[in-house]
Amino acid sequence: MIPFRSLLTACLLAAVSPLFADDAASPARSMLRVNITSQPYNFGLPWQKQNPGTRRGLGALLPGNRVLITAEMAQDASYVELEAAASGRKLTGKIEAVDYELNLATVIPAADTGDFFAGMIPLAVDAALKPKATLDVWQFEANGAPVVSPIELNRVDLAPYFLDDQFFLIFQATGGVQYRAGTFTLPVVHDGKLAGMLLRYNSRDQVADILPPGIISRFLDDVAVPPYEGTPNFGAKLNGTLDPQLRSFLKLSDVEGGMLVTGITPGFSADKAGIKDGDVILSINNLTIDSRGYYNDPDFGLLAAGHLLRGGAKVGASVQLKVARDGSILNIPCTLLRRNPEDYLVDPYMFDRGPRFLILGGLLFQELTQNYLQLAGREWRDRAPFRLVYALGNQDDFLKQGRHKLVFLSGVLPAPGLIGYERLRNLIVTSVNNKPINDVKDLAEALKSPTDGIHKIEFSDFPKVIYVDAAQAELDNKEFVPARYRIRELQRLD
Amino acid sequence: MKPSLRFLGAAAAALLPASLSLAQLAPPPQAPPADGEKTTSLGRQYEGIVNIECNTLEVDYRTPWNPATPGGGSGTGFLIAENLFMTNAHVVSDASRLIIRKVGDPTPYRARVKHIAHDCDLALLELVKPAAAFSTVEPLKIAEEVPKLDTTVKVVGFPIGGERISVTRGVVSRVDYQEYSHSGADQHLAIQIDAAINPGNSGGPVLQDNMVVGVAFQGYSGDVAQNTGYMIPTPVMRRFLKDVEDGKYDRFVDLSITHFPLMNPAQRKALGLPEDGDLGVMVASVDSEGSAGGALKTGDVILEIDGHAVESNGSIDIDGEQTELAEVVERKFAGDKLALKIIRDRKPESLEITLKGASHYLMQANRYEQQPQYVMFAGLVFQPMDKPLMTVAAPSSLRSRYWFQYFTTDELYRDKPQPVVLTNVLPDEINTWLREFSGQIVEEINGVKITRLKDVSDALQKEDGSSFHLIKLAGEGRPLVIDRKQAADAQPRLLQKYGLGASAYIE
Repeated sequence: MIPFRSLLTACLLAAVSPLFADDAASPARSMLRVNITSQPYNFGLPWQKQNPGTRRGLGALLPGNRVLITAEMAQDASYVELEAAASGRKLTGKIEAVDYELNLATVIPAADTGDFFAGMIPLAVDAALKPKATLDVWQFEANGAPVVSPIELNRVDLAPYFLDDQFFLIFQATGGVQYRAGTFTLPVVHDGKLAGMLLRYNSRDQVADILPPGIISRFLDDVAVPPYEGTPNFGAKLNGTLDPQLRSFLKLSDVEGGMLVTGITPGFSADKAGIKDGDVILSINNLTIDSRGYYNDPDFGLLAAGHLLRGGAKVGASVQLKVARDGSILNIPCTLLRRNPEDYLVDPYMFDRGPRFLILGGLLFQELTQNYLQLAGREWRDRAPFRLVYALGNQDDFLKQGRHKLVFLSGVLPAPGLIGYERLRNLIVTSVNNKPINDVKDLAEALKSPTDGIHKIEFSDFPKVIYVDAAQAELDNKEFVPARYRIRELQRLD
Repeated sequence: MKPSLRFLGAAAAALLPASLSLAQLAPPPQAPPADGEKTTSLGRQYEGIVNIECNTLEVDYRTPWNPATPGGGSGTGFLIAENLFMTNAHVVSDASRLIIRKVGDPTPYRARVKHIAHDCDLALLELVKPAAAFSTVEPLKIAEEVPKLDTTVKVVGFPIGGERISVTRGVVSRVDYQEYSHSGADQHLAIQIDAAINPGNSGGPVLQDNMVVGVAFQGYSGDVAQNTGYMIPTPVMRRFLKDVEDGKYDRFVDLSITHFPLMNPAQRKALGLPEDGDLGVMVASVDSEGSAGGALKTGDVILEIDGHAVESNGSIDIDGEQTELAEVVERKFAGDKLALKIIRDRKPESLEITLKGASHYLMQANRYEQQPQYVMFAGLVFQPMDKPLMTVAAPSSLRSRYWFQYFTTDELYRDKPQPVVLTNVLPDEINTWLREFSGQIVEEINGVKITRLKDVSDALQKEDGSSFHLIKLAGEGRPLVIDRKQAADAQPRLLQKYGLGASAYIE
């Protein structure tokens, strides 16, 4: 079996050049190298960026001189370059649009293109693609020669793309893919049309996870009509109902399947539609949900129901829910809304910008981000300051208290006015000058009204309250902090 | 003071009992001749220092219904009065049998614990049958004062490295507050010395001018810090001895506040103090059920404690020695009064506080001599949250970890004095869909709010006309549903299958 497979691949490689007609899409005519210098912010020292690093990957050329890449490649881009593989010619580009949840981004030329795209053939998206099919993974050799690896598309599932805990549709394919491009995020092609972006490849099992063409089209359609909407969130947890004792308790004896709704986020899709804790969703748009939470998709077969509420749905779309509630059946329309990263107490991800912060005479206040906690390393859930990790895990408790963001004192830059406060760090701020603090803007506002020239800053933990001389802090902000710590930007409120 | 300092310290100091295998004593040599004057005084000086062999029973909180596992260790003790030996609590904790051995006498003397103080790691033992061999032994005398820095001390005991009595020598390196790692949740005065203290030295006397100036009790292993041993100083020993005079040990009292140094001029000014002064600390938090609850509040400034001026770093002067303001409280007993001079809302005030022990923090302290409590129902094992449980079960649930860490700080005990955790699900057909739910705190059973383990068994016995038991876990929307009839059938099957003698043990 194995010798046969390698023989087959060898034949295909040998036959590469005649495979592509002169006027058809081909790696050389429809794929570009994309070089991206990325420079994330430093979440511990939010006024500065980290050391820049360069990623090299491949992008699929689309109509309108757009190049499709993954968001993973586009993150924190400060300089973007398109490169023709054969000639090595380069063109400065820029990120046009990026969706970190869908892990897609488009690059467009930054200025006049000249004849850079002359003779290039953009790829159409094969949005109707279904398993089973044979797909080609496209790469370039170092010398610019095309490398084509055929893989067999045979399975559909929901899995995370780039961010954890965000599940979207993936195509799974098997077959050998050689490692040439320095990355496994590669264009996948079917019959001369873009069939997806390869997300990751398990070389031991020879299994490739592919971001499917349907998701690519929805992203491109969204980009084409501003403003960009993204994907909706249902705003509740869905639990299986296999447990017969649970079913009996929920009075589900006369119906089959269904998903139990719990943990409804106030103010989002499920809540606004009037869905209640303990409701059981029996069908979505007349597609019956089984007790594991799967439905039979007309295109893809058995699929997790989350697809109908997220990756497979548009923001603002209405879905029809059949719900069992206390023994009776209700039909409830639900408009799917989006929960943006800013709508969370703690931004679940942050790219291309740094956290909002404010320095008061050396006291460094920030809005909490997951990136900050991740500074504690791989084991950050155990190692980062527990109070802050707990806030991240129980955000809704804080949102219910009316908080919008979590402002905390992340540390102290020792300065003349801060004697005695040097060791304070990672303290959640509750109020400043007796005004509640729900974001850094509140903080900036509250700092306009000290009492008798002294700011009062209250924390949820030891030492609970400190006082800072307003005039001294202003002076230190003007002189000491910029001079000694070389910080030019003392706050970022937007 | 306890809560604020409990989480400090990079590496916990290790306790020092020797394992039994290292300390199996061969018959010691014959006693020195009685008439050799020099050797006699040396011999008599150490005669009151004894080896203590302790057989223990260790319980496993993962299987709280199981009988304990036998183990053991050895340490040192010393005679302080007729048939009264002092040692460390950790040398004799969880004891099933205690043997005392005297230098120059092969006889094993059976002993028992008379008083044990886990919060300051001290214990008093007595022989089950007073022995004539000890009648001529002179008890060791406890010094009045804390030894001065850089003065020489000797540590005497039965550490690893040999079987006979050992003497090491060093100086007093530091006098400071330390966490006592036996309880893991208490801080008291401790004295650091550079004499070698090794496993087996625990409970032995530290001597200066033939007087006991401390009890050797903990140290760092060589890869953390060199030549760093700690002894329990005489104020702590004396307080323990005074506490048990009434026949029982009542534990230390505590002000149950945290305080913050007042170094910052703006802070001093805002609180109504002279900016350039060096007196006063700010009260940061007050445990509302502690001694100072209702009396002190956040933002108060403590200027004087029992007439001792409090410096801005929290230190006071007692008999010419700089020490922490906590030391005044450390030497007092439940019911004693404490006089405070404070500044509140920029005005001076005087307060009198009646002291009592703090109890909620014990949830976060190591436990001894305790049979673990549990309720097993339909394969679901419920246990009260405490330190030994959290150590072995280590639930990954953020909420459970929060409850354990912030139980006193956030006064969570007001809501649930004894939080109950669903620790385990013993597999059976009745709970086949419930196995993923362990590690969470139990919020409610059959409509009854669960605030302590007793509530679990009461709620499960409650008939509410429903054919289900309904269990709600904190932070988990999906209820655990158990059919009442099936549960009744399953209980004997589960007890038999998993070897539980009883469905519950509740104190």
